[in-house]
Amino acid sequence: MEPSEAPQLPLAGIRVVDAATVIAAPFCATILGEFGADVIKVEHPVGGDPCRAFGTPTARKDTLTWLSEGRNKRSVTIDLHKAQGVQVFKDLIAKSDILCENFRPGTLEKWGVGWDVLSGINPRLIMLRITGYGQTGPYKDRPGFARIAHAVGGLSYLAGMPRGTPVTPGSTTLGDYLSGLYGCAGVLMALRYRDETGRGQYIDIGLYESVFRCSEELAPAYAMYGTVRERKGPHIEVACPYGHFQTRDGKWVAIACTTDKLFERLADAMQRPELASSSVYGEQKTRLEHRHEVNEIVRDWCGALTRAEVLKRCFESRAPAGPLNDIADIFGDRQFHARRNLVAMDEPTIGETLIVPNVVPRLSETPGSIRSLGPKLGEHTEEILGGLLGLDAAAIAELRKQRVI
Amino acid sequence: MQASDAENAASAGTAEARLPLSGVRVVDVGTFLAGPYAASILGEFGAEILKVEHPIAGDPMRRFGVPTKRHDATLAWLSEARNRKSVTLDLRQEQGVALFLRLVAKCDVLVENFRPGTLEGWGITTERLREANPGLVVLRVSGYGQSGPYRRRPGFSHIAHAFSGLSYLAGFPGETPVVPGTSPLGDYVSGLYGAIGILIALRHKQKTGRGQVIDLGTYEAVFRILDELAPAYGLYGKVREAEGSGSYVAVPHGHFRTRDGKWVAIATTTQKMFERFCHVMERPDLLSPALYGEQAKRLAAREEVNALVTEWAASMDRDELMRRCIEGEVPVGKLNSIADIFEDEHFQARGNLTEVEAEGIGPVTVPCVVPRMSETPGRITNLGPPLGNATYEVMNGLLGLNADEIAALRKKRIL
Repeated sequence: MEPSEAPQLPLAGIRVVDAATVIAAPFCATILGEFGADVIKVEHPVGGDPCRAFGTPTARKDTLTWLSEGRNKRSVTIDLHKAQGVQVFKDLIAKSDILCENFRPGTLEKWGVGWDVLSGINPRLIMLRITGYGQTGPYKDRPGFARIAHAVGGLSYLAGMPRGTPVTPGSTTLGDYLSGLYGCAGVLMALRYRDETGRGQYIDIGLYESVFRCSEELAPAYAMYGTVRERKGPHIEVACPYGHFQTRDGKWVAIACTTDKLFERLADAMQRPELASSSVYGEQKTRLEHRHEVNEIVRDWCGALTRAEVLKRCFESRAPAGPLNDIADIFGDRQFHARRNLVAMDEPTIGETLIVPNVVPRLSETPGSIRSLGPKLGEHTEEILGGLLGLDAAAIAELRKQRVI
Repeated sequence: MQASDAENAASAGTAEARLPLSGVRVVDVGTFLAGPYAASILGEFGAEILKVEHPIAGDPMRRFGVPTKRHDATLAWLSEARNRKSVTLDLRQEQGVALFLRLVAKCDVLVENFRPGTLEGWGITTERLREANPGLVVLRVSGYGQSGPYRRRPGFSHIAHAFSGLSYLAGFPGETPVVPGTSPLGDYVSGLYGAIGILIALRHKQKTGRGQVIDLGTYEAVFRILDELAPAYGLYGKVREAEGSGSYVAVPHGHFRTRDGKWVAIATTTQKMFERFCHVMERPDLLSPALYGEQAKRLAAREEVNALVTEWAASMDRDELMRRCIEGEVPVGKLNSIADIFEDEHFQARGNLTEVEAEGIGPVTVPCVVPRMSETPGRITNLGPPLGNATYEVMNGLLGLNADEIAALRKKRIL
């Protein structure tokens, strides 16, 4: 990572209040922060964001998820259940550009800081609202987590072996991240519109919607042909061979022949060029009709070689293959190192160096940066209330006494 | 054009009058989904998307997936090539390259996802692009990014899921790793990151006039969203294994089958959620510290806790289980098939499915725009266009070629 001073970053000067919890809406703020926005994390004085307890704990209790995803944020504690807390929050919103929140619909309204009130205080405000089901509709009040969103959005139904138990689609937090990404795209577009018109707006996302949006032709195929897609294990319906194959050393490779040309290259790698002739398996249609035979040929070939050998031959023939990496493989991989996808950050609060995923995407002129990891709860309360909001020491002490902060 | 649009919006004062990206022109010369999806998002919010395709074959995405009665369009193409105009142009011919550079000079954004070195091989280098348009924002998506030892390897979403560590986690421990639900997931994630990169770069351009290049490997996009997988290995040497239908962070947190053979997802992520769930199961005794009252104890006794829930879920139909969990405010959801989704009242209420007329086919139901913006909602103007439907319009209207020149270029199969 190139060292980068905050003023050169493309979102310098933008202030984000992240009053949300766990990953979804906060992840939007994380991305904005990587590219230079000043992100102020507003947390409950007792316990703070539950993300601090989500995952693997460190010496200071806060989990690794928090330390990584709370990057570049400053933490201020404010109790929004108290009237004085709400006032401090309003003062903060008046000086900010963006608010990220994921309370259940109606919660902020109950505290007197719904969209109408906040946009009245700051007409230029952009508000990102991410909840399990969005701000409207019959399920809006239900609690939602990414796991539920994967199920409701149709993703989990497709993950697993045919007729077997549906599995977690790799990671339980995918839907959170997807929603954070959609939220971030929405916020950046809203920012552009606001800069031109002076008007803010709110963005309303249900976790399940982000998941469902990524389902390519699942919906049109059902609507047009009544096709209900089922679980296919490591394979897919429309291409073959396409899946995961075990090698002699007990490892796995992924192979994806989405076109005839790619199958031709695989046949070449397998030293079986005759398989790619049009009278054998040269056409996708034929391969799909004989998917068991084709998969068996590939399985046998992979099973006779080590993973390194399979990949070497595939790469020589430019066949589409790759290792199915575990995290240990990834730490040893040359590409991850060359691209600096992992970055080491010294974290004095726990006396350790942490390895965290680096910023994505990579911008040539204005690269993002990780300047700090997740702060301690309330680490910046005085700095923000005193510096930004201009409260004096006595006022801050009083708020502390009242347990507002 | 920008100024007059802004004036129109100001005078009309309505949300419809102006979308946040109106006036932005994007050339999408990508194939399949990873790069193009970034353009799709911009297009939904007002950008003009010119899809540049090979004159004969077009984007291979046109043939990938479930066919329709139009030979140049699968359903995947129709849905994901939404809001585009198609322009044919052969970049393997010198004249095609010259026209491409003229086109790029009139655009704000270029999206490409060729294998690194391909565009350069055709003479379309970063320098020439910058020369043609110093303000150009270029999104380059490839399997492994523009640098590093693997940069020239072919990359697909399926390979990226495997390479990034996601697929290793999908499936039951010791069994075959499965597709993490949907094979193009990594393409969508890349498209999202790409769109964000473009929007940030456009902002920088507005301030400084300078464009830049966004370099994204599909595997990086996927790897970035795997929460604490990397730090946990870095700090504790912990290799996360496949988690079956559960998660290492909490229990019960998984998929359970009900009496009628259907499935639900239950996620008691926090202590409070578990407490509620015990009351729903009418088993408050489980909350005693001697049993499963504490998260640490539950995690240690994962199998026992899951067995209790499995048995409870199997004792009633899905509707009944859903009713009880919802009443008790326990996070629960149906594990929906696409048929379930089409019947779901919430999907209907939110308008998540929308019917759009596709040229030569009729109405096609597609997922609607995400995210939902209050002042400037996105929209779908058209589904995946016929190959070359805007070639004339763009060559004539935008680049000023006359009918004879266009005909000559067509004859040479440059268009």
